[in-house]
Amino acid sequence: MSTPIRFALIGNPNCGKTSLFNRLTGARAKVANYPGVTVERRSGMVTGLTQPAELLDLPGTYSLFVTSPDEQVARDVILGQLAGERRPDLLIAVIDACNLRLGLRLVMELKSLNRPIILALNQMDEAKRRGISINTAALAKAIGMPIIETVAVNSQGVADLRKVLDDYAQQPAMPEGEQTLTLSDRQESVEALYAEIESIISQHVIQPAHLPRWQDRLDSLVMHPLLGLVVLFSILLVIFQAVFAWASPVVDLIDAGFSGLGELVATFLPDGILKDFIVEGMIAGVGGVLVFLPQIIILFFFILVLEDTGYLTRAAFLLDRPMRGLGLSGRSFIPLLSSFACAVPGIMATRTIADPRERFITIMVAPLMTCSARLPVYALIIAAFIPEQAAWGIFNLQGLTLFALYFAGVASAALIAWLMRRRASGREEYPLLLELPTYRWPMAYHLLLGLRERAWIFIRRVGTIILALSIVLWFLASFPGAPANATQPAIEYSFAGQLGHLMQPLFAPLGFNWQMCIALIPAMGAREVAVSALATVYAVGEESIDVALGSALAASWSLPVAYAYLAWFVYAPQCISTIAVVKRETNSAKATAFFTIYLFALAYFAAWATYQIASALVG
Amino acid sequence: MNTAVFANTHPLTLRLDQCRKGATVRVTGLIEQPLFGAQDERVGLRLKELGFLPGAPLKVIGFGLLGSDPLAVQVNGTKFALRRAEAAKICVELIQA
Ligand SMILES: Nc1nc2c(ncn2[C@@H]2O[C@H](COP(=O)(O)OP(=O)(O)OP(=O)(O)O)[C@@H](O)[C@H]2O)c(=O)[nH]1
Ligand SMILES: [Mg+2]
Repeated sequence: MSTPIRFALIGNPNCGKTSLFNRLTGARAKVANYPGVTVERRSGMVTGLTQPAELLDLPGTYSLFVTSPDEQVARDVILGQLAGERRPDLLIAVIDACNLRLGLRLVMELKSLNRPIILALNQMDEAKRRGISINTAALAKAIGMPIIETVAVNSQGVADLRKVLDDYAQQPAMPEGEQTLTLSDRQESVEALYAEIESIISQHVIQPAHLPRWQDRLDSLVMHPLLGLVVLFSILLVIFQAVFAWASPVVDLIDAGFSGLGELVATFLPDGILKDFIVEGMIAGVGGVLVFLPQIIILFFFILVLEDTGYLTRAAFLLDRPMRGLGLSGRSFIPLLSSFACAVPGIMATRTIADPRERFITIMVAPLMTCSARLPVYALIIAAFIPEQAAWGIFNLQGLTLFALYFAGVASAALIAWLMRRRASGREEYPLLLELPTYRWPMAYHLLLGLRERAWIFIRRVGTIILALSIVLWFLASFPGAPANATQPAIEYSFAGQLGHLMQPLFAPLGFNWQMCIALIPAMGAREVAVSALATVYAVGEESIDVALGSALAASWSLPVAYAYLAWFVYAPQCISTIAVVKRETNSAKATAFFTIYLFALAYFAAWATYQIASALVG
Repeated sequence: MNTAVFANTHPLTLRLDQCRKGATVRVTGLIEQPLFGAQDERVGLRLKELGFLPGAPLKVIGFGLLGSDPLAVQVNGTKFALRRAEAAKICVELIQA
């Protein structure tokens, strides 16, 4: 056989497919406690088999009669309807043992496809803890397929599963027929299927009638119409405070470290081009961004904890009503929340939204949620311009400014969503139908893995794209050198200087100087580069080798200009990867063009208005 | 399906969206919901697939923001958030208020 055998994991949302996938392939795909984490097909090779075998991880689905784009992916893959894709040879149906009925229903539906199938009965640890007892052998006989009990979080039973897969891989493949699915012949069958499942369960499973009490108690607090909101806002407040107050000592430490490093290198290296390159191009550029690692880590720590507990869907539940007024819904909450980390996964997550119009609006406003890449830009400018003083007794002025920037993004998103919805009123509604998963303690293993992943992504970005752009920018800012009869600083004659001066008239109404204009270009690749670009440009321009960028900015920008620059970054520029993912997810050049242009226009307008108003106020 | 439409006039039966927090009820049938337009059949099917079938016991866990919409219900040990529009498709009889 030339192509390896192909297995596919299929099951309800949140039953543990991706956890199993990670165990079987050694991958580190994202796992979290809410339905709709996986929205794409993902493939990997199963480790530890005697023959090469491919495993597919799929989005969760309740039924083959799908209602949203992510479910469609799962269905297309297992039915072999994806262009250029062979359908899987063996289906591994995954069931959450605490949620048997729902899982078995899908399994029975899959069975009617007449395809080779085995069943992984996952979350057995949790089922035992709750007192659910399952006669697995009898159940396997009743539904007519092999069952393997698994615990995907500690790899119990995963070896058994691997063994079954290995045995299967060694058998010669056999041809089978396939049924087609239509709505009409499925309508009546739901009742009949459930009746069958009910009788199977009553014979082979002993289930307690109630969920653990603490779960219900927690829900009555967290989903309380009023107290629930208090809880939600308290959580957001704590996150905010943590990201900006707790991180600052570490940030200062790293900052001091890089300054020290710059000085150290400067004393050891002989004067000349190499020294300039290392101190101004590399240490200033890269260090300027790397100092924000602690904040990114803290932000992701909270996001990961919230994702793993199962709280997110409760927040979506509370916010469904207010979001509906904006043409969104509780279903758009998680994609929008993810966009605070990065708009790319946020936009991908909109695949869980069934309503195409709502999905479109969510994609269009997702980048207005301040992504973590903008954090360094905000933090740098705030630290340079906003005095560190208390406001109204308890608040910190810098923190408040930051909050205002985040809020400006959210409020603009609300306004734009509302405007877009008004154009499309009077349509039919789509249901919410959101599963609220059971609460779970966040697992230290997931947290550490997730944080390491995020830290690594950030460091890798700094080490690759940001470093590369810093170096390129340093060259552009250093060459060509000043002519012999130069009257201005050397950088004014460089390529960067010339380019900046070329752009500057366009941005003059916003108050931007040419250095700011230059920084906008590499920021299209990654927003943090705006910081390293400014660092490089100012480091090259300065006579001293001081790498403290903040003081350089404070000396050369006026306050209204700084505000205008912040306003620009609330809206734009969208990084290239965001634009690419919008193109892929909307599959429309028109929508992508609209997206890009409207955000740029908004950024320009917001920066202009901010500059004019702030100038008038400052006098 | 006809019986379900009549069910509304029966003193003991009501629609899920009329239930109070904490009520335990049993599903008696699904009815049409014009709000969903052409989607209605799909929504009904999905509700059934999730377990909202005649005979299934439900528990109303709570209501969303300011006590109105959406509502959370538990069916077969799984909790779901439904809007009133979906809940109004589900006819139920009271087991325990
Ligand atoms: N206790 C316990 N928890 C598990 C087990 N398997 C998965 N989980 C947890 O269940 C949640 C969902 O796991 P995932 O692997 O993301 O589930 P999924 O089926 O891929 O979910 P979707 O991609 O959203 O469809 C996570 O919080 C896991 O930690 C298990 O065997 N035991
Ligand atoms: Mg998954």
